[in-house]
Amino acid sequence: MKIGSVFLIVILVSSIGWGQSQISGTVTDKSGEAIIGANIYLDGTYDGCSSTIDGSFEFNSSEKGNHILIASFIGFKDVQYDIVLSDSAVNLNITMIESINRLEAVVISAGSFTAGEETNREVLKPLDIATTAGATADIAGALNTLPGTQRVGETGRLFVRGGEGAETRTFIDGMLVSNAYSPAAPNTPGRNRFSPFMFSGTSFSTGGYSAEYGQALSSVLVLKSKNEALLNRTDVSIMSVGGTLSHVHKGDDWSVAGKLGYSNLEPYFQLAQQRIQWNKAPETLETDVIFRKKYDKGLFKFYTNFNREVFNIFRPQITRADILDQIDLNNQYLHVQGSNEFKVSDKLKITSGLSHTRQNEVLDFNADAINEHHQTSHGKVVLDHYINEKLNLKSGAEIIHTDHRYDYQTTESGQLNYGQSIAAGFSELDVYFSNKTVLRAGLRFTSDRLSNLNYLVPRLSLAQQVGKNGQFSLAYGEFNQAVRPEYLRINQTLDHEKVRHHIASYQWIKNGRTFRLESYDKRYTNLIKFGTENLNEPSAYTNEGEGYARGLDLFFRDNKSVKGLDYWISYSFLDSERDYLNYPNSAVPAFASAHNFSLVAKYFMQDIQSQLGLSYSYGSPRPYNDPNTVHFNSRRTRSFNDLSLNISHLLNPQVIIHASVTNVLGFDNVFGYEYATQANNEGVYQRRAIRQPAPRFFFVGIFITFSKDKTVNRLPEL
Amino acid sequence: MKTFLLIITTLAITSFASSSKYEQQMLKHIEGLNKAESPEDFQMLTNAFERIAKAEKDKWEPLYYGAYSTLMWCYRISEIPEKDKLIDQALEKINTAAELDPQESEIVALEGLAHMTRVTIDPASRGAQYSGLALQTYGKALALNPKNPRAMLLMGQMQYGTAQFFGSDTSEACGLIEKAINEFETYRNNNPLAPVWGEDLAKAALSRCQ
Repeated sequence: MKIGSVFLIVILVSSIGWGQSQISGTVTDKSGEAIIGANIYLDGTYDGCSSTIDGSFEFNSSEKGNHILIASFIGFKDVQYDIVLSDSAVNLNITMIESINRLEAVVISAGSFTAGEETNREVLKPLDIATTAGATADIAGALNTLPGTQRVGETGRLFVRGGEGAETRTFIDGMLVSNAYSPAAPNTPGRNRFSPFMFSGTSFSTGGYSAEYGQALSSVLVLKSKNEALLNRTDVSIMSVGGTLSHVHKGDDWSVAGKLGYSNLEPYFQLAQQRIQWNKAPETLETDVIFRKKYDKGLFKFYTNFNREVFNIFRPQITRADILDQIDLNNQYLHVQGSNEFKVSDKLKITSGLSHTRQNEVLDFNADAINEHHQTSHGKVVLDHYINEKLNLKSGAEIIHTDHRYDYQTTESGQLNYGQSIAAGFSELDVYFSNKTVLRAGLRFTSDRLSNLNYLVPRLSLAQQVGKNGQFSLAYGEFNQAVRPEYLRINQTLDHEKVRHHIASYQWIKNGRTFRLESYDKRYTNLIKFGTENLNEPSAYTNEGEGYARGLDLFFRDNKSVKGLDYWISYSFLDSERDYLNYPNSAVPAFASAHNFSLVAKYFMQDIQSQLGLSYSYGSPRPYNDPNTVHFNSRRTRSFNDLSLNISHLLNPQVIIHASVTNVLGFDNVFGYEYATQANNEGVYQRRAIRQPAPRFFFVGIFITFSKDKTVNRLPEL
Repeated sequence: MKTFLLIITTLAITSFASSSKYEQQMLKHIEGLNKAESPEDFQMLTNAFERIAKAEKDKWEPLYYGAYSTLMWCYRISEIPEKDKLIDQALEKINTAAELDPQESEIVALEGLAHMTRVTIDPASRGAQYSGLALQTYGKALALNPKNPRAMLLMGQMQYGTAQFFGSDTSEACGLIEKAINEFETYRNNNPLAPVWGEDLAKAALSRCQ
């Protein structure tokens, strides 16, 4: 009997394979479109097939009894059917539902330009920032070729969509960086203090950004530092303006990198004539230390940057060029930050950080001395919670504390100071209706402990994919920012300045070509306003200023049409007026030019292992105020033009030579005019043009890499 | 007791039968890879290997060939985002396979190929990041098995491309490719499903050297 049952099993087993059942049907998506190439199979067996061009499928199986039929296709949820196989045919019409994939889903892009390594949807690559001609590896300089920015050549800051330079704030790994620009002689551009080579991701938002970011009216520049070092290497650079030495040491799950830099423009200024009379050319000493450690569920990063810069200039007075004012500057800057990313579970990530920035600047103007000390501490915790396929909640809290001290010894002497604590919390919900529609709704609460004022502002954005390659985005947001130290140190009860953004954009990306059109409307309220008298009195300052900015930004990028050539074109139209500061009436601010245009091109020539870069920028005439005329800000400068070139040549895999020249054609750009405070005997206010410190800037550098891996070099950085 | 033994034997026989069915099915589809040309061919083969992988959860070969087929599919389409998606899918399979057999040099070599494929999409912008990664991965594959001719060939190809890019000497790369060809002639693996592809590619690569 027992033996009999064994035989029975054997017979049953071997009988499989005789009777075949046919399984067939169609696979479609929700809208009835055929899904081609779906995998349809019986779970646990080899039996199955792929759906064909009309979504139909058909296969035979010798299996019998109860089975699970699975249909799977990338981007769709698996569908399962319980089926019973006998000799009769099974026919199924399968409908598959798209699964929501955060990596595939449409990305909210209104107002933002991102450069990252991960996805192919990035408009820019990290490299682009470093290799833009005319920018000389300055982050702000490169971003200044994107739409939404104005050319304000005398500052080097990012002026975004009718906003002032101070309305753009910089964040590194989520932490606020204050005084992000190095000091410069009056009316000459400063540089962003941070090297673009440090970062693997850059997100430059020109409006409508996330509730995570506060204390910025117009724009945030969010820099993400590299997560890991790839290998041990030592780099040396010798440049016409100085040199750097850096070393990276990599351990198993940690790395440490250090950099020492020294620059002195003296030799260069000896060779290339300058319009500024330098007594002591800018001299800078800089060190960077980066430490990164990966651990079980997280990543810790530490970064510090110390920088000291000194210079001394003689400056002719506007009314009498033979009388020279002496300006001496000594600037010391320290930024330290630590940040930690911790994955509590697959669904919860906690990011936290602490940062501290301090700057001490001693400025001597003839016999007057000003010592400005500014320090900012920032603590922040963010919880990123994946609730389910369709919902993601990000919430966080932060404290920003600023201490400011201003000592002056002029005709009178004294000290102004304040300490300001700003506490803020935010919450932001992402709703994925489908891969094609994403809504982000956020709220941000700010409490300013100095003025005892509270703010609650909404942020809202929506992205909708249209067609295969296009998307529409809408964004709305309210933003507030504490007034600048120079006003706050006089009057500590001032309200935050406020702005409301509306943005509508269309973006199209396909195979190496990107097109973007964006329009915006900004309403400023609560702007600082003052008259011409009693400027040392708190009562002179009010929040009664207001203004607007509206415009159109256009961007086109193409790296496909011509082999080896990559170029982008930006155009911005801006219509803006403000009634703020000492303006007697509403007027176009001096930094606002109506039309800005940039063309950036990069061409790699394989034969000579060189990359050529070209940038052309145009800015339409800017307003300036001529006290000899009745109307405020009614005069216009000439237009701004600049053509810059650079070349990077790969001598061998370890050595790169880089050369660049800005303003090749030597356009005599005038950014505005400075007027004497007093009229002369004829009742005329004399003036002086604000021009570039020299028509052109030449740069030559040689970059050498030492590493065990011979193929490593700095080409990717140039 | 006898009954028990019989049951065991029967089970062993049936499972042996299914194991040979595994081999037989695998060999059939591996043969298919040699004939496949269009993206659709590779999509169907990718699906077929995936079906086997789903049924044979402890075997690395179906995942390996599924990933290989996905990469070949990737080479036959032109849309960049689609190509990236396929490389992502291939890497997912490779990672699962590597978990099943962390010491298998072939799997690591295929991972290198996935990174190299990423480079080919846009060498100018991706070369910096992924060519280093590819070389590193091939190095790892050769450390696991210094005789793996595919790891040798792929590394040689990567070195050749890099040398050509920099206009430097290609002799080191060509030497490695030549070494790979010799290895292809002698290299044998006991596993009947072990990868054998690459000899023709190596010969083609060597002809560019001369």
